[in-house]
Amino acid sequence: MTGPLLALDGLTKQYGRHRVLEGVGLTLEAGETAALLGENGAGKSTLAKLLAGAEKPDDGRIRIDGEEVSFSTPREALVRGIAFIPQELVYVPELTVAENVVLGRWPRRFSLTSQSLVRKQAAAEARKYGFHLPMDRRMASLSLAQQQTVEILKAVARRSRIIVLDEPTAALNSEDSQQLLDLMTGLVKDGAGVIYISHRLDEVFRACRTVHVLRNGHLVHSSPVGGTSPGQIIQHMLGRSTDEAAVPKRRVERSTKVLELCDWERMQAPRLRHVSLEVHEGEIVGLYGVRGAGAETIAETLGGLHADVRGETTVAGQALRALRHPVASRRAGIAYVPADRKSQGLVLTLPVVQSLSLLVMRALSRFGIVARNQEQATARQLASEVRLRARGLGQAVGELSGGNQQKVLVGSRLASKPKVLVLQEPTRGVDIGARLEIHRLLRKLADAGTGTLLVTSDIEEAVLLSDRLLILRDGEIVREIHQPTLNSQADALHAAGGLD
Amino acid sequence: MAIETGKTSNDAEEDLEVSSGWFAFNENTSRALLLTGFLVLIIAYFASQDSSFLSADNGLNILVNASVIGIVSLGQVLTIISGGFDLSVSGTVPLGAVTFAILVNDGWGVLSAVAATMALGAVCGLANGLIVAKAHINPLIATLGTMSVTGGLALTVADGIQIPFDDPDKAVLAEQSLFGVNNHVWILIALSVALFCVLRFTVYGRYLYSVGGNREAARLAGIRVDAVTVSVYLFSASLATLAGAVLASQLLTGSGIAGTDSALQSIAAVILGGASLAGGIGGVPGTLIGVLILGTLANGMAILSVPSFYQTITTGLVLLLAVGVSQVRRFRVGR
Repeated sequence: MTGPLLALDGLTKQYGRHRVLEGVGLTLEAGETAALLGENGAGKSTLAKLLAGAEKPDDGRIRIDGEEVSFSTPREALVRGIAFIPQELVYVPELTVAENVVLGRWPRRFSLTSQSLVRKQAAAEARKYGFHLPMDRRMASLSLAQQQTVEILKAVARRSRIIVLDEPTAALNSEDSQQLLDLMTGLVKDGAGVIYISHRLDEVFRACRTVHVLRNGHLVHSSPVGGTSPGQIIQHMLGRSTDEAAVPKRRVERSTKVLELCDWERMQAPRLRHVSLEVHEGEIVGLYGVRGAGAETIAETLGGLHADVRGETTVAGQALRALRHPVASRRAGIAYVPADRKSQGLVLTLPVVQSLSLLVMRALSRFGIVARNQEQATARQLASEVRLRARGLGQAVGELSGGNQQKVLVGSRLASKPKVLVLQEPTRGVDIGARLEIHRLLRKLADAGTGTLLVTSDIEEAVLLSDRLLILRDGEIVREIHQPTLNSQADALHAAGGLD
Repeated sequence: MAIETGKTSNDAEEDLEVSSGWFAFNENTSRALLLTGFLVLIIAYFASQDSSFLSADNGLNILVNASVIGIVSLGQVLTIISGGFDLSVSGTVPLGAVTFAILVNDGWGVLSAVAATMALGAVCGLANGLIVAKAHINPLIATLGTMSVTGGLALTVADGIQIPFDDPDKAVLAEQSLFGVNNHVWILIALSVALFCVLRFTVYGRYLYSVGGNREAARLAGIRVDAVTVSVYLFSASLATLAGAVLASQLLTGSGIAGTDSALQSIAAVILGGASLAGGIGGVPGTLIGVLILGTLANGMAILSVPSFYQTITTGLVLLLAVGVSQVRRFRVGR
């Protein structure tokens, strides 16, 4: 009895009274890359967990090659050839690449294993599947893109035929993303099937053959990529019609400068060379570059994370001394939104109300005692400003969706009414609806006079949101694009030295 | 080109309400209720076994015996909320006991002796805090080291012997006063109320929970995380030496070997009370319930003449049970 590589039929999953998946059915052929799209909470991760054997469906069938299977542990799913690569990778950071590749299937000789055996087997597998990896480096010392590649090698080396990737490119720059997509294309040529969960429509349209859209636990759309358009897909995801997913730009009259960097230099990598830029009141200035080009470093320095950058910094006409500490940067009137909301941005255990008011706690207190009414009023106002959706202000931040967490993070930075807003990856890993809301919020803030420096590795976001886009390459500003549009993407990528 | 996003605009109009005031019914509250229920169960069991258990005298007895560990636990919960813990209390409690006994025998007044003892504790705590925050040494290693140093110091200062109080009147800390309740029980109650308020209502409390919940995020939010970290170890050691002074007053003697199980007992009480070793979670009410559970178990088993070895075993099992139950609950809530 044979059938398609993978066939799902009527999959249903319920948590308590909440039905997160209902009657989902789809098929995946060998050699096919299928995109799985949907807003956060649409059921994508749950579906992935069912496939990976991390959860059991309440109803419905999973068939591989026409044969019905049922997993009670992730191990059983692996044995049946399904590999799930989660967004937050699971690996052993202190082991070498080779050791991670053979993890759990150590090569043995007389029930002993050795470094050389491990290395030999891992290298042989890498060669066989066409991977190039530094086998002796510690996993923790690799870039995220390389770590992801190792995880994929792990999957194929286990002869997995169905590979489920959960937002693999969310934290990658465009160059690394492209390499990953190429790798994926190679895998399906060899007969594997890939389920690709992503928020990035451009990649889906470049690299996938079919597209499936989940909304509120239902599969609402399935079609070949050729038969649809990004606009239609967004419409299916949101369940409503939408124009171009963009906020209008405004031509800013050159008003007061709120931020001025003059001749920034940094000797250590990532280097900076003669970086000078200015941000005016009401202006959103984008900063784009491939990883290591220095864009992140500039944002982090403004946040007070690097003390080793030389150069002058002026905020609202006031020359600052070196920003040696996050406290110094805050005092100067700079609000910094770090890139990784979970590790750097938010205290997930705090309730929303305390997270929003954390940075202005001092102002909301007398003699060290928090004025709770003021605190709540502040938080309520910020929550409505960022259009937060939560059960209540007492809910722990960790329970919110990614998009709402990001709104809390941005909101907490707005509490102090900053002159300059420095944002790093403000919409990384959030769904399209929330991304749009955050973009609108940033535009609204700019209209109210905030000067914004936006550092993002998402080129679409950079061109959509920036009034002016600066391109960094090897620590130098190499190009300035005024009023960029979607059509400026190729230009920007080219200048950044990525692909074109 | 505004886009109509019906869902969002409706929702955003509604004001998000915060569960009002200092009492919030959430996961913490339900855990506290669970623990209280557990405590009631233990009490009911012992009461059914022995009629003398449920008397006012015995109630006070439990409090008297639990107050030393109670005071230590109030310091311990701070270090645990901050994401660390303090093993060195096993050294600072005896050090406090010995120091206090020497000082009162030297003719110091009780209050000034308490102050000096706690100041010594503050120095030890400062050392702990600086080692953890500035030298970035794991709290396990750091406080294991200082536990050994302070414990050894206690024995050295006492010259390996016990130091009985020359004047039993100096044991004011352990005497009964208002309503016939011992002074150290009042101290425990006062400290608990004060600390509860600090954690709930002050900026410092907010900073502490933030640092414990996510140190890097707190740092980027402009909080002086090192100062917060140092402060919790300072408080912890000060309270531990105070507990030592109380212990000496109870025993009428300063001993370098009494209170050496403080780290184990206090960490057990704090974790039993719902705090997380990962930091950011914990509080005074839970900690007190944890202390009472351990105290009640010890007292009840003593009344039933269960040998003390079995008491140790039971304490361990209860701790594992409580943590196990909360683990299962978290698993179910967290999907």
